[in-house]
Amino acid sequence: MGRILPIAITGLGCLSGAGMNLRESLENLFLNQRNPRPPQRFSTDHPVSYPVLELRDEFELPLDQQETVYARTSQLALAAALEALHDAGWEAKDLRGKRVGVCLGTTVGCALNCDDFYRAYKEGKNPGMAVIERFLRSNPATVIARQLELDGPTQIVVNACSSGTDAIGIGASWLRAGACDIVIAGGADELARVTYAGFSSLMITDTEPCKPFDVNRKGLNLGEGAGLLVLEHKDVCQNKRVRGYVLGYGSACDAYHLTAPRPDGAGLKQAMNEAFATSGVKAEQISFVNAHGTGTPDNDRVESRVLHEILPGVPFVSTKGYTGHTLGAAGGIEAVFTLACLQRGELPANIGFSDPDPELPTTPVTENTRIEGDLALSESLAFGGNNAVLILAKGEI
Amino acid sequence: MRMAIQGIGLCGGFGQGIEALRTALQAGRVEPQEVCIEHQGGPEHFPAYRAVVDQLTEFIPKRALRRIDHFSKMTLLGACLALKDADLLEADRSRTGVVIATGYGALKTTFDFLDSYLDFGYSCSSPTHFSNSVHNAAAAHVSMQFKATAPSLTVTQFEMSVASALLSAQQWLAEGRVDQVLFGAIDEYSEVLHYCRQQFFAEGEQGPVQPLDFTIQSAVVGEGASFLVLTRADQTAAYACIDKVRLGNHQVRPLELVPDERLIIGADGHKECGRWYASLLKDHPVTAYAAVYGSFPAAVGFDLAVAALMLRDRKLYLDSEGDHSSPPVDLSPAEKLSCLKFGPGGDYGLIQLST
Amino acid sequence: MSVKEKLKRVLIEDLNLEDVEPDEITDDMALFGEGLGLDSLDAVELVVIVQKHFGVEIKDMEEGRPALQTISTLAKFIEDRLA
Repeated sequence: MGRILPIAITGLGCLSGAGMNLRESLENLFLNQRNPRPPQRFSTDHPVSYPVLELRDEFELPLDQQETVYARTSQLALAAALEALHDAGWEAKDLRGKRVGVCLGTTVGCALNCDDFYRAYKEGKNPGMAVIERFLRSNPATVIARQLELDGPTQIVVNACSSGTDAIGIGASWLRAGACDIVIAGGADELARVTYAGFSSLMITDTEPCKPFDVNRKGLNLGEGAGLLVLEHKDVCQNKRVRGYVLGYGSACDAYHLTAPRPDGAGLKQAMNEAFATSGVKAEQISFVNAHGTGTPDNDRVESRVLHEILPGVPFVSTKGYTGHTLGAAGGIEAVFTLACLQRGELPANIGFSDPDPELPTTPVTENTRIEGDLALSESLAFGGNNAVLILAKGEI
Repeated sequence: MRMAIQGIGLCGGFGQGIEALRTALQAGRVEPQEVCIEHQGGPEHFPAYRAVVDQLTEFIPKRALRRIDHFSKMTLLGACLALKDADLLEADRSRTGVVIATGYGALKTTFDFLDSYLDFGYSCSSPTHFSNSVHNAAAAHVSMQFKATAPSLTVTQFEMSVASALLSAQQWLAEGRVDQVLFGAIDEYSEVLHYCRQQFFAEGEQGPVQPLDFTIQSAVVGEGASFLVLTRADQTAAYACIDKVRLGNHQVRPLELVPDERLIIGADGHKECGRWYASLLKDHPVTAYAAVYGSFPAAVGFDLAVAALMLRDRKLYLDSEGDHSSPPVDLSPAEKLSCLKFGPGGDYGLIQLST
Repeated sequence: MSVKEKLKRVLIEDLNLEDVEPDEITDDMALFGEGLGLDSLDAVELVVIVQKHFGVEIKDMEEGRPALQTISTLAKFIEDRLA
């Protein structure tokens, strides 16, 4: 397929276990600090505890009765949206009269897995509808549109762990098609007992802080958060400060297995090639890669081999040691980090990595590393065989 | 960019396949099945439009279905029937994208997963149920079954799921990422869903559904899968073309309809959504087909299939409110049809079709 | 019922192998790949099955892999833990 029009990125917002906003997240990333610990907000009867990365602090939103109005995922999404819009210089009132779309990835945010409610239902206790009403009110894209009184398309992408990356690629396509003037795109996910139980049952969670690409990697640590970008058509954001651009996006399905990545990485390669084709960028122009790097044996093996083949010698980092795997939010948070690192000209160390795996042909950056250039790639792999790749550029092009 | 509908595959309360839908439309109303749930206090009976999927084994061997839940079976059956209808069952699908729209996802499996740890402890959480409860599992099964290695997308946006997903499918085709999209709309009935609806609507769940009476709650729960094979409109459409997809919020900026625009509305007996139609529609010629497939968020996919079928047949099949003693009204080749769906908060999806 | 017999029965039931008879699963047939044709997702489900029906924990796949080869190896693993 051919080139597509670049879409401007005018604002960034994120919060996760790495920090409560972008500035704080970058501080912690470059101080190489992480804070995995057993989950504080729920408990289970697993014989061992798996560390997770929860938000470090409580956060506040300009809402009444924040706790009860919306589910946590939507609160996270809203917090990141407000940060990103502020960063882009948009006041809520200025968005009136514009067509503003919201395209977000999530997993937990749209699953009816209210286990306390369901337990009561099973026990014949006729639970009330408060938790269901909250679920029905809490579609994260609708929440942002409702709170900011937006008129435009809303979409929740539920492509599992590539949702956030896909949502950004799709949001950009809406702008090219003229379906809206501005799109708020990215991902959000809360840490939930259900996903904690699910990932543990798949035996891909580590009982220690995760070690992406390391020979002793045992699995991922779950995390939570949101990462959102404000995307604008070039014609809309004239004369505005532009942080960067979405230059290319590619997506492909392994069509191989429900949970395991295709060993030869064919889907990931296809997604990368589509991102190159749509951006007109060549592999040798890429300064660095924000890898998916969950710390599971399978994911990191496939990813390392594909990176070695397609982008040999290009520095790469997994930031999941700092954030944990935030599932539907991961692609959003990592796109935010990718652009912020391009602007800073520096990559944080791939925390958790110390000993190379002889099976893997490449190793991530082991210390904070200066980088040159304007272009970077962020990639996500997911359950269901989804692969999604973004190519981002900093500054004016 | 216009999209052409090349094939349709369906399963729902009216049966399996496009012919079953046509037959149901000619009758105007399908009787829902009676579902029975055993409670401690005795059995509870209520109506529901449930989907049967027994035709699936004509396409896929039983062994390959051993880990596949009812939600994904409906999905696979819809996909198989749509590909068959478009004569693409044997085609190369490396350029076929998969787009799935669902309001609630695989409800039964979501609760089956919770059962696994609520009943036996967290160490017995079932990885099979967990991975099938992830929203994109059905899309993954479709991609695997058909070796569809192009992009795959699952969208969930309650009542807006179908319009929203269609907007993205349109961009894939426009940008040349794919040559075809296998587009499916799926929702599933579950006992817990029934419990919730009962709490919300009480006797309103008993039917019969009267979709055009916006003042009463008359919805009857339904489920099913509706699939379309979409291409760019530079290929001649087997059914009809989708001209435009628009989403917005009527409360923030009022939706303006073309006067006389012929509409299939997604009104399905929900009073809370019905008020939006009541406030907007004036003299528009309107039909609604919830009495053929029931009430569920992804039913907009069925509205779309009905619109496409009517444009191909050049006949306006009357809905349950119409007079079925006379034959269907002819539609002129220039006729346009729009599918309009409102969510409870005034968000709307408008999908415009023509031949 | 022996551990092997019980294993075959719960395998068929919990992995939904409805077209397979217990007798068709031989003690030394490979459970994965060629043989019974199970895959990596079945492997983790088997860990749950062993926990649920025999009360025996398989901590991780390092421990699980040698046990999850055949009915014989798995039965031996369970019997050793129960002893």
